[in-house]
Amino acid sequence: MTRGTAVAETPPRAELLERSEQLSALGESLDSVAAEGSGRLALVRGEAGVGKTALLRRFREDRAGAVRILWGNCDPLFTPRPLGPLFALPELRDVVARDVLPHEVVSALVDELRRPAPTVFVLEDLHWADEATLDVLRLLCRRLESFPALVVGTFRDDELDRAPLLRIVLGELGTSERTSRLKLRPLSPAAVATLAQPHGLDEVELYRKTGGNPFFVVEAIAAGTDEIPDTVRDAVFARQAQLSPAAKDLLGVVAVVPPQAELWLLETLVGDGIGALDECLASGMLRVEAGGVAFRHELARLAVAESANPTRKLELHGRALAALASRPETAHDVARLAHHAEAARDVGAVLRYAPAAGARSSALGAYREAAAQYARALRFGDRLEAAQRAELLELRSRACYLTDQYDEGIAALEQAVDLRRSVGDELKAGDDLRILAEFLWCPGRVAEAERRATEAVEVLEQLPPGRELAAAYTKRAFLCTCGARSEEGRQWATRALAIAEPFGDDEIAVEAYARLTEFDGSVGLERGLERARKAGFSELVANRYIPLAFVAMEEHRHADATRYLDQGIAYCSERGFELFRLYLLAARARLELNLGQWAEAADTAATVLRVPRTSISPRIVCLVVIALLRARRGDPGHDDLLDEAWGLAEPTGEVYRLWPVAAARAEAAWLRGDHDAVRNATERTFELAVELETPIAIGDLAVWRRRAGIDDAISPRAPEPYALELSGEARRAGERWAELGSPYESALAFSQTDDEDALRRAHDELQRLGAKKAAAFTARRLRELGARVSRGPRPSTRGNPANLTAREVEVLGLVAEGLRNADIARRLFLSEKTVDHHVSAILRKLDVRTRGEAGAAGARLGLVSAPT
Amino acid sequence: MPRYIVERILEDGWPISGDDCRGVLQRNTDEGVTWIQSYVSEDGTTAFCLYEAPTPEAIRKTGARNALPVDRITQVRVLDPYFYEEDR
Repeated sequence: MTRGTAVAETPPRAELLERSEQLSALGESLDSVAAEGSGRLALVRGEAGVGKTALLRRFREDRAGAVRILWGNCDPLFTPRPLGPLFALPELRDVVARDVLPHEVVSALVDELRRPAPTVFVLEDLHWADEATLDVLRLLCRRLESFPALVVGTFRDDELDRAPLLRIVLGELGTSERTSRLKLRPLSPAAVATLAQPHGLDEVELYRKTGGNPFFVVEAIAAGTDEIPDTVRDAVFARQAQLSPAAKDLLGVVAVVPPQAELWLLETLVGDGIGALDECLASGMLRVEAGGVAFRHELARLAVAESANPTRKLELHGRALAALASRPETAHDVARLAHHAEAARDVGAVLRYAPAAGARSSALGAYREAAAQYARALRFGDRLEAAQRAELLELRSRACYLTDQYDEGIAALEQAVDLRRSVGDELKAGDDLRILAEFLWCPGRVAEAERRATEAVEVLEQLPPGRELAAAYTKRAFLCTCGARSEEGRQWATRALAIAEPFGDDEIAVEAYARLTEFDGSVGLERGLERARKAGFSELVANRYIPLAFVAMEEHRHADATRYLDQGIAYCSERGFELFRLYLLAARARLELNLGQWAEAADTAATVLRVPRTSISPRIVCLVVIALLRARRGDPGHDDLLDEAWGLAEPTGEVYRLWPVAAARAEAAWLRGDHDAVRNATERTFELAVELETPIAIGDLAVWRRRAGIDDAISPRAPEPYALELSGEARRAGERWAELGSPYESALAFSQTDDEDALRRAHDELQRLGAKKAAAFTARRLRELGARVSRGPRPSTRGNPANLTAREVEVLGLVAEGLRNADIARRLFLSEKTVDHHVSAILRKLDVRTRGEAGAAGARLGLVSAPT
Repeated sequence: MPRYIVERILEDGWPISGDDCRGVLQRNTDEGVTWIQSYVSEDGTTAFCLYEAPTPEAIRKTGARNALPVDRITQVRVLDPYFYEEDR
């Protein structure tokens, strides 16, 4: 709720019923912020009217003077203002007023929160938050340890279905050990009785009708009717009915100007009617806010607004629009103006303010709101000229693309192409076709993307060469990279660069350069990254880490891959490049799998799969990772995942997306001894890999086929460890895989020998990994050779129950000895920051809060010697 | 949510005491795992535990955090013998 308190208001300083537990939890969080000098997050959730604001107001009163409070409310507007809640903070107003992206807002906010310690930073009603505000929250919480503040977010947990972005953000924030979660439940029958008694109301009936919802309870009591109202709306109406006609009218006016009505605005709208304000305030239905007056609760405002006469509302919106547009202090608030313009059905005003609000939202990184504002303008844009309409469609499609609404973005852009062509603007039409190719590729519509990119080039080649043509060539080069057609791709990129290079450090020149150099593998990718960094194109920088990491993994350069992933994920996290971050997290999941860090791989892949995105690449990678884990461990449910991954990858026809799925299907089939299925799973993709000469895919698939008894001609192009096994040197392949740091691949290669030592080595490693299926048949082969096989240690009891890494166990030992992080850092030759990370990971994995508890848990689990 | 039977080989017998139980349940909750029931062999060395869990990975993770071995995970559905009575 926006600005209401529930039970707390009557009477002032009355005890807040049944909230002492939550108040002390907030207090504890704040105390540990003060003690540790680093931040925490508290998420307060509950249904509308349950008293979230009341709780925080009480907390603020209790701590008055001792802490600084920053308080921001999200808008209940249908399309909220970008960064609305932050705009309300005087400390941030200057920063937010400029066009800054969320990560820049966070920098300013962190500086602010670092100052006088400690601060409580409240963000209310996150279920209404705009995208930029949610990004700020997400990025801020990634840096919690760097400032002494308690961040508190409130939201209605029964409205999460309508707030998909919030859901994703909560999923990420909820996993941190710095987060505490508070759920507010409705009042108990006893508490309702306490409230009912002084008014002589039937407490059982009151509880039955209100379900203990504090807002409803208070409204029902205040309604003063003999019969307890059946719904919140009825209660609000009953309460309103007690007022004079002038006060009722004033309430109706306040209800149409959310989130709050400035006094001057009310005077403009009702003239002398403002005299009734005192009555409204005294009744408790309205309250005074910093900038004017507002309903005590959004539930009450909605009830009043919905019941108002439609013609009267139309008229009020029109007058509010005129008044707000004519005052300098509100004329810049284009999102608010667009809201009233639409409600007043004022076509001219919608077309003036909605695009402006879209531009403003885009500039602040609130792309979802930008898309909604452009859609609003387009709904009123029937009579616009073709060029103007096309421009709105282009702007909308860009905002849709950035918010994962591909279908909407593609539809808008297709209309724009037609409109541009209808007025003979081939340049814009060609550019739109190129962008369309990009939009189509992400969800895997590769054939259509190729067709659109080809059209773009055809259209633009009719015109004098320029940026647009260079961009179209670059797009074709990109599609060739994805399709493993290097020679063709090189040609397109060369042509793009020939046009763009004279532009100097223009973005298209830098991108064309990156596209061309990427055909030279890692060295070229590094050069592209460097140039993008120097020219300051952060999106391109972030993007470059993706191929760098994947190429390093394909070449089994695991240390390089780790470094690129660490850098790339940090870069994207800080700047809010969420889609690229998902690509990199997916790469990390695969890397962890390849390194034998299976528990970590499962966690990372699950994190990616929890985020619903249309882009198929990260999803395919993570489905494969989890499917392989299940197949190897003998756990159920891998076939469904592989079928889904294949369903996403197959239509693309791209070997880099197909081969890992095909190889995983082959492995799963091989593990259950179905060699025909290995052939079926690999046949077509293997042919494609041979045709396109992609070494990694050839090597990986050929090995699976060989293990299933399929004898392909040995390809000279298979990379080393694969080539060794294919040429009958499985033992050397096993050793090579071990040197490369891939224990499972090593063990499988060893398992293909008839050498007892190698088989035993394979068996031990497979046991250690928990690779049940492969361990079982390795044991069988050993027995066939007449060797004795011990059961061996089982992975889950092998002395490290909490999945701590060797390093973490080492750090835990020193923590248990009572060493501080600085001492541990010195002892282990690590940076203090690294030790911080290890300690955080230990606390999380052991599920404890303090270092003392960690030591005790470590002793209990036998990881460290018991304290003496 | 799917149900799973988890087989555990417990060389030192059933390991969870009354004191541990709360912690075990809490750690399960973090991963969305619900422990419904266990059947333990007379000698305490084998347990068949029924769980509701989002994924097999969640079961393995909580198993590791609770220091409980996981030897086999089987996804199951419930068949009630009396169901066949009604069919006749």
